[in-house]
Amino acid sequence: MATPAQLGLMDAASPVMEEMIYFHDHVMLVLILITCLIFYSMLVLISSKYIYRFLTDGHVIETVWTVIPAIILVVVALPSLKLLYLTDELDNPQLTIKSVGHQWYWSYEYTDYYDIEFDSYMLPLGDLSKGDARLLEVDNRVVLPVDTSVRVLVTAADVIHSWTVPSLGLKMDAVPGRLNQLALQCSRVGTFYGQCSEICGANHSFMPIVIEAVPVEVFEGWCDMMLDEESLGSLNMKR
Amino acid sequence: MADVPAGRLPKPQMRGLLISHLKRHGAIALVFSMGVTLAYKLAVADPRKRHYEEFYKNYDVKREFEAMKEAGIFNCARPSWEQAAEED
Repeated sequence: MATPAQLGLMDAASPVMEEMIYFHDHVMLVLILITCLIFYSMLVLISSKYIYRFLTDGHVIETVWTVIPAIILVVVALPSLKLLYLTDELDNPQLTIKSVGHQWYWSYEYTDYYDIEFDSYMLPLGDLSKGDARLLEVDNRVVLPVDTSVRVLVTAADVIHSWTVPSLGLKMDAVPGRLNQLALQCSRVGTFYGQCSEICGANHSFMPIVIEAVPVEVFEGWCDMMLDEESLGSLNMKR
Repeated sequence: MADVPAGRLPKPQMRGLLISHLKRHGAIALVFSMGVTLAYKLAVADPRKRHYEEFYKNYDVKREFEAMKEAGIFNCARPSWEQAAEED
Protein backbone atom coordinates (compact mmCIF):
# COMPACT_ATOMS: atom_id res chain seq x y z
CA MET A 1 0.00 0.00 0.00
CA ALA A 2 1.05 3.62 -0.27
CA THR A 3 3.08 5.12 2.57
CA PRO A 4 2.21 8.50 4.11
CA ALA A 5 3.20 11.49 1.94
CA GLN A 6 4.12 9.16 -0.91
CA LEU A 7 4.33 11.05 -4.22
CA GLY A 8 5.46 8.44 -6.70
CA LEU A 9 3.92 5.22 -7.93
CA MET A 10 3.83 2.15 -5.68
CA ASP A 11 6.52 -0.48 -6.09
CA ALA A 12 5.56 -2.84 -8.89
CA ALA A 13 4.52 -6.39 -8.08
CA SER A 14 3.77 -7.46 -11.64
CA PRO A 15 5.66 -7.22 -14.94
CA VAL A 16 3.01 -4.96 -16.44
CA MET A 17 3.26 -2.48 -13.57
CA GLU A 18 7.04 -2.47 -13.95
CA GLU A 19 6.62 -1.50 -17.58
CA MET A 20 4.18 1.24 -16.56
CA ILE A 21 6.75 2.66 -14.15
CA TYR A 22 9.42 2.64 -16.84
CA PHE A 23 7.00 4.33 -19.24
CA HIS A 24 6.25 6.94 -16.60
CA ASP A 25 10.00 7.62 -16.32
CA HIS A 26 10.19 7.89 -20.12
CA VAL A 27 7.40 10.45 -20.28
CA MET A 28 8.96 12.35 -17.36
CA LEU A 29 12.13 12.72 -19.43
CA VAL A 30 10.10 14.37 -22.18
CA LEU A 31 8.25 16.60 -19.71
CA ILE A 32 11.45 17.68 -17.98
CA LEU A 33 13.02 18.53 -21.34
CA ILE A 34 10.05 20.67 -22.37
CA THR A 35 9.65 22.30 -18.95
CA CYS A 36 13.32 23.28 -18.68
CA LEU A 37 13.29 24.62 -22.24
CA ILE A 38 10.21 26.75 -21.64
CA PHE A 39 11.31 27.89 -18.18
CA TYR A 40 14.68 29.06 -19.45
CA SER A 41 13.06 30.72 -22.49
CA MET A 42 10.64 32.59 -20.27
CA LEU A 43 13.45 33.85 -18.02
CA VAL A 44 15.49 35.04 -20.99
CA LEU A 45 12.59 36.74 -22.75
CA ILE A 46 11.36 38.49 -19.61
CA SER A 47 14.82 39.83 -18.79
CA SER A 48 15.70 40.83 -22.36
CA LYS A 49 15.53 44.50 -23.39
CA TYR A 50 15.74 43.86 -27.16
CA ILE A 51 12.70 44.59 -29.35
CA TYR A 52 12.27 44.08 -33.10
CA ARG A 53 9.25 46.07 -34.18
CA PHE A 54 8.97 44.62 -37.68
CA LEU A 55 8.78 40.95 -36.75
CA THR A 56 5.82 39.39 -38.55
CA ASP A 57 6.74 35.77 -39.34
CA GLY A 58 9.62 33.34 -39.34
CA HIS A 59 9.17 30.39 -41.65
CA VAL A 60 12.14 28.41 -40.39
CA ILE A 61 11.28 28.73 -36.70
CA GLU A 62 7.61 27.98 -37.40
CA THR A 63 8.59 24.79 -39.22
CA VAL A 64 10.93 23.82 -36.40
CA TRP A 65 8.37 24.33 -33.66
CA THR A 66 5.82 22.27 -35.59
CA VAL A 67 8.02 19.35 -36.55
CA ILE A 68 9.79 18.92 -33.20
CA PRO A 69 6.57 18.60 -31.12
CA ALA A 70 5.27 16.10 -33.67
CA ILE A 71 8.43 14.05 -33.20
CA ILE A 72 8.07 14.33 -29.42
CA LEU A 73 4.50 13.06 -29.65
CA VAL A 74 5.61 10.07 -31.69
CA VAL A 75 8.37 9.36 -29.14
CA VAL A 76 5.70 9.27 -26.41
CA ALA A 77 2.99 7.50 -28.41
CA LEU A 78 4.94 4.47 -29.62
CA PRO A 79 5.89 3.07 -26.18
CA SER A 80 2.44 4.06 -24.92
CA LEU A 81 0.66 1.95 -27.53
CA LYS A 82 3.06 -0.92 -26.94
CA LEU A 83 2.22 -0.83 -23.23
CA LEU A 84 -1.48 -0.52 -23.94
CA TYR A 85 -1.50 -3.73 -25.94
CA LEU A 86 0.75 -5.41 -23.38
CA THR A 87 -1.83 -4.82 -20.64
CA ASP A 88 -4.44 -6.63 -22.76
CA GLU A 89 -2.23 -9.60 -23.49
CA LEU A 90 -3.42 -12.81 -21.85
CA ASP A 91 -1.10 -15.72 -22.46
CA ASN A 92 -2.81 -19.01 -21.68
CA PRO A 93 -3.95 -18.28 -18.12
CA GLN A 94 -3.59 -21.13 -15.66
CA LEU A 95 -6.32 -19.89 -13.38
CA THR A 96 -9.51 -17.91 -13.82
CA ILE A 97 -11.27 -16.15 -10.97
CA LYS A 98 -14.37 -14.01 -10.98
CA SER A 99 -14.72 -10.79 -9.05
CA VAL A 100 -18.25 -9.45 -8.56
CA GLY A 101 -18.89 -6.00 -7.17
CA HIS A 102 -21.83 -5.47 -4.85
CA GLN A 103 -23.00 -2.60 -2.71
CA TRP A 104 -20.71 -2.57 -0.75
CA TYR A 105 -18.40 -5.59 -0.88
CA TRP A 106 -16.68 -7.82 -3.38
CA SER A 107 -17.39 -11.50 -3.91
CA TYR A 108 -14.98 -13.90 -5.52
CA GLU A 109 -15.46 -17.21 -7.29
CA TYR A 110 -12.83 -19.82 -8.01
CA THR A 111 -14.66 -22.24 -10.25
CA ASP A 112 -11.86 -23.68 -12.38
CA TYR A 113 -10.97 -26.72 -10.31
CA TYR A 114 -13.13 -26.30 -7.23
CA ASP A 115 -16.32 -24.50 -6.50
CA ILE A 116 -15.12 -21.84 -4.08
CA GLU A 117 -17.08 -18.67 -3.54
CA PHE A 118 -16.79 -16.13 -0.74
CA ASP A 119 -17.61 -12.54 0.11
CA SER A 120 -15.00 -9.98 1.04
CA TYR A 121 -16.16 -7.25 3.40
CA MET A 122 -14.05 -4.44 4.78
CA LEU A 123 -13.02 -4.97 8.40
CA PRO A 124 -14.59 -2.24 10.54
CA LEU A 125 -12.38 -0.15 12.81
CA GLY A 126 -13.26 -2.14 15.89
CA ASP A 127 -12.20 -5.45 14.32
CA LEU A 128 -8.73 -4.35 13.26
CA SER A 129 -5.69 -5.96 14.83
CA LYS A 130 -2.47 -4.12 15.68
CA GLY A 131 -0.64 -3.20 12.47
CA ASP A 132 -3.72 -3.50 10.23
CA ALA A 133 -4.43 -0.73 7.75
CA ARG A 134 -7.58 1.30 8.36
CA LEU A 135 -10.14 1.09 5.52
CA LEU A 136 -8.02 -1.44 3.65
CA GLU A 137 -8.32 -4.76 5.48
CA VAL A 138 -10.95 -7.32 4.59
CA ASP A 139 -12.28 -10.43 6.29
CA ASN A 140 -11.59 -12.83 3.39
CA ARG A 141 -8.67 -12.04 1.12
CA VAL A 142 -8.15 -13.11 -2.47
CA VAL A 143 -5.39 -15.73 -2.44
CA LEU A 144 -3.50 -16.28 -5.67
CA PRO A 145 -0.41 -18.28 -6.66
CA VAL A 146 2.71 -16.23 -7.40
CA ASP A 147 4.32 -16.28 -10.88
CA THR A 148 1.10 -17.64 -12.36
CA SER A 149 -0.91 -16.15 -15.20
CA VAL A 150 -4.39 -15.47 -13.85
CA ARG A 151 -7.47 -14.26 -15.68
CA VAL A 152 -9.79 -12.10 -13.60
CA LEU A 153 -13.33 -11.67 -14.87
CA VAL A 154 -14.82 -8.55 -13.35
CA THR A 155 -18.49 -7.75 -13.17
CA ALA A 156 -21.04 -6.26 -10.84
CA ALA A 157 -24.38 -7.24 -9.42
CA ASP A 158 -25.97 -3.83 -8.98
CA VAL A 159 -24.21 -0.60 -9.95
CA ILE A 160 -20.85 0.07 -11.60
CA HIS A 161 -17.82 -0.56 -9.40
CA SER A 162 -14.14 -0.76 -10.31
CA TRP A 163 -11.69 -3.45 -9.24
CA THR A 164 -8.31 -1.87 -8.64
CA VAL A 165 -4.94 -3.00 -7.35
CA PRO A 166 -2.38 -0.23 -8.01
CA SER A 167 0.79 -2.20 -7.22
CA LEU A 168 -0.20 -4.79 -9.83
CA GLY A 169 -1.17 -2.10 -12.35
CA LEU A 170 -4.78 -3.27 -12.43
CA LYS A 171 -7.94 -1.29 -12.81
CA MET A 172 -11.10 -2.56 -14.47
CA ASP A 173 -14.67 -1.34 -14.28
CA ALA A 174 -17.16 -3.81 -12.89
CA VAL A 175 -20.26 -3.21 -15.00
CA PRO A 176 -23.50 -5.06 -14.35
CA GLY A 177 -24.40 -7.30 -17.25
CA ARG A 178 -20.87 -7.25 -18.66
CA LEU A 179 -17.77 -9.36 -18.10
CA ASN A 180 -14.47 -7.48 -18.28
CA GLN A 181 -11.27 -9.47 -18.48
CA LEU A 182 -8.02 -8.65 -16.69
CA ALA A 183 -4.65 -10.35 -16.97
CA LEU A 184 -2.89 -10.66 -13.63
CA GLN A 185 0.52 -12.03 -12.71
CA CYS A 186 2.19 -11.45 -9.35
CA SER A 187 5.97 -11.42 -9.59
CA ARG A 188 6.56 -11.57 -5.85
CA VAL A 189 4.86 -12.83 -2.71
CA GLY A 190 3.07 -10.40 -0.44
CA THR A 191 -0.20 -8.66 0.20
CA PHE A 192 -1.47 -6.08 -2.26
CA TYR A 193 -4.23 -3.63 -1.54
CA GLY A 194 -6.72 -1.72 -3.62
CA GLN A 195 -9.97 0.15 -3.31
CA CYS A 196 -13.15 0.42 -5.34
CA SER A 197 -12.55 3.07 -7.99
CA GLU A 198 -15.99 3.89 -9.30
CA ILE A 199 -18.51 5.81 -7.23
CA CYS A 200 -21.13 3.34 -6.19
CA GLY A 201 -23.02 4.77 -3.26
CA ALA A 202 -22.64 5.60 0.38
CA ASN A 203 -19.96 3.05 1.18
CA HIS A 204 -17.95 3.32 -2.01
CA SER A 205 -14.82 4.13 0.04
CA PHE A 206 -15.33 1.10 2.25
CA MET A 207 -15.08 -1.87 -0.08
CA PRO A 208 -11.38 -2.60 -0.47
CA ILE A 209 -9.58 -5.40 -2.28
CA VAL A 210 -6.74 -7.42 -0.75
CA ILE A 211 -4.71 -9.97 -2.68
CA GLU A 212 -2.36 -12.45 -1.04
CA ALA A 213 0.23 -13.78 -3.47
CA VAL A 214 1.64 -17.05 -2.12
CA PRO A 215 3.57 -20.05 -3.47
CA VAL A 216 1.53 -22.58 -5.42
CA GLU A 217 1.64 -25.21 -2.66
CA VAL A 218 0.29 -22.73 -0.14
CA PHE A 219 -2.43 -21.72 -2.60
CA GLU A 220 -3.45 -25.36 -3.00
CA GLY A 221 -3.51 -25.76 0.77
CA TRP A 222 -5.71 -22.69 1.01
CA CYS A 223 -8.09 -24.14 -1.58
CA ASP A 224 -8.34 -27.36 0.44
CA MET A 225 -8.99 -25.33 3.56
CA MET A 226 -11.72 -23.35 1.83
CA LEU A 227 -13.40 -26.58 0.77
CA ASP A 228 -13.23 -27.98 4.27
CA GLU A 229 -16.75 -28.44 5.60
CA GLU A 230 -15.82 -27.14 9.06
CA SER A 231 -14.71 -23.74 7.80
CA LEU A 232 -17.70 -23.12 5.58
CA GLY A 233 -19.77 -21.65 8.33
CA SER A 234 -17.08 -19.33 9.66
CA LEU A 235 -16.28 -17.93 6.22
CA ASN A 236 -19.89 -17.39 5.22
CA MET A 237 -19.19 -19.30 2.05
CA LYS A 238 -21.47 -20.65 -0.57
CA ARG A 239 -20.89 -23.87 -2.46
CA MET B 1 44.77 43.23 -39.99
CA ALA B 2 45.88 46.71 -38.99
CA ASP B 3 46.31 47.38 -35.34
CA VAL B 4 43.49 49.30 -33.72
CA PRO B 5 44.61 52.91 -33.27
CA ALA B 6 45.08 53.92 -29.69
CA GLY B 7 41.87 55.31 -28.21
CA ARG B 8 39.41 53.57 -30.62
CA LEU B 9 37.15 50.74 -29.53
CA PRO B 10 36.07 47.88 -31.86
CA LYS B 11 32.79 48.62 -33.65
CA PRO B 12 29.89 47.18 -31.67
CA GLN B 13 27.11 45.12 -33.23
CA MET B 14 24.59 47.60 -34.64
CA ARG B 15 21.83 45.39 -36.04
CA GLY B 16 20.20 42.05 -35.41
CA LEU B 17 20.67 42.22 -31.64
CA LEU B 18 17.45 40.42 -30.84
CA ILE B 19 18.05 37.56 -33.25
CA SER B 20 21.62 37.00 -32.13
CA HIS B 21 20.45 37.15 -28.51
CA LEU B 22 17.75 34.59 -29.26
CA LYS B 23 20.10 32.28 -31.13
CA ARG B 24 22.65 32.31 -28.33
CA HIS B 25 20.13 31.70 -25.60
CA GLY B 26 18.23 29.16 -27.71
CA ALA B 27 21.35 27.05 -27.89
CA ILE B 28 21.96 27.51 -24.14
CA ALA B 29 18.33 26.53 -23.41
CA LEU B 30 18.67 23.37 -25.48
CA VAL B 31 21.91 22.36 -23.80
CA PHE B 32 20.52 23.15 -20.33
CA SER B 33 17.28 21.22 -20.81
CA MET B 34 19.03 18.22 -22.33
CA GLY B 35 21.52 18.27 -19.48
CA VAL B 36 18.76 18.21 -16.87
CA THR B 37 16.99 15.44 -18.78
CA LEU B 38 20.17 13.39 -18.92
CA ALA B 39 20.68 13.98 -15.19
CA TYR B 40 17.17 12.65 -14.46
CA LYS B 41 17.82 9.63 -16.65
CA LEU B 42 21.14 8.85 -14.95
CA ALA B 43 19.97 9.64 -11.41
CA VAL B 44 16.42 8.28 -11.41
CA ALA B 45 15.30 6.24 -14.43
CA ASP B 46 18.31 3.98 -14.99
CA PRO B 47 18.96 3.25 -11.26
CA ARG B 48 15.27 2.31 -10.90
CA LYS B 49 15.55 -0.25 -13.71
CA ARG B 50 18.78 -1.65 -12.23
CA HIS B 51 17.12 -1.86 -8.80
CA TYR B 52 14.27 -3.98 -10.17
CA GLU B 53 16.69 -6.21 -12.09
CA GLU B 54 18.82 -6.79 -8.99
CA PHE B 55 15.74 -7.45 -6.84
CA TYR B 56 14.50 -10.23 -9.09
CA LYS B 57 17.91 -11.64 -10.04
CA ASN B 58 18.26 -13.68 -6.84
CA TYR B 59 14.65 -13.54 -5.67
CA ASP B 60 13.75 -16.64 -3.67
CA VAL B 61 9.99 -17.04 -3.44
CA LYS B 62 10.05 -19.56 -0.60
CA ARG B 63 12.53 -17.59 1.50
CA GLU B 64 10.55 -14.38 1.14
CA PHE B 65 7.28 -16.17 1.81
CA GLU B 66 8.62 -17.77 5.01
CA ALA B 67 9.91 -14.43 6.26
CA MET B 68 6.58 -12.73 5.58
CA LYS B 69 4.65 -15.62 7.07
CA GLU B 70 6.62 -15.42 10.31
CA ALA B 71 5.95 -11.68 10.38
CA GLY B 72 2.22 -12.43 10.32
CA ILE B 73 1.52 -10.78 6.96
CA PHE B 74 -0.71 -13.49 5.53
CA ASN B 75 -4.12 -14.66 6.67
CA CYS B 76 -3.96 -17.91 4.69
CA ALA B 77 -0.67 -18.95 6.34
CA ARG B 78 -0.28 -18.00 9.96
CA PRO B 79 3.15 -17.80 11.67
CA SER B 80 4.50 -20.87 13.43
CA TRP B 81 4.64 -19.11 16.81
CA GLU B 82 0.93 -18.30 16.56
CA GLN B 83 0.07 -21.89 15.75
CA ALA B 84 2.22 -23.06 18.66
CA ALA B 85 0.47 -20.63 20.98
CA GLU B 86 -2.91 -21.90 19.83
CA GLU B 87 -1.88 -25.49 20.45
CA ASP B 88 -0.77 -24.58 23.97
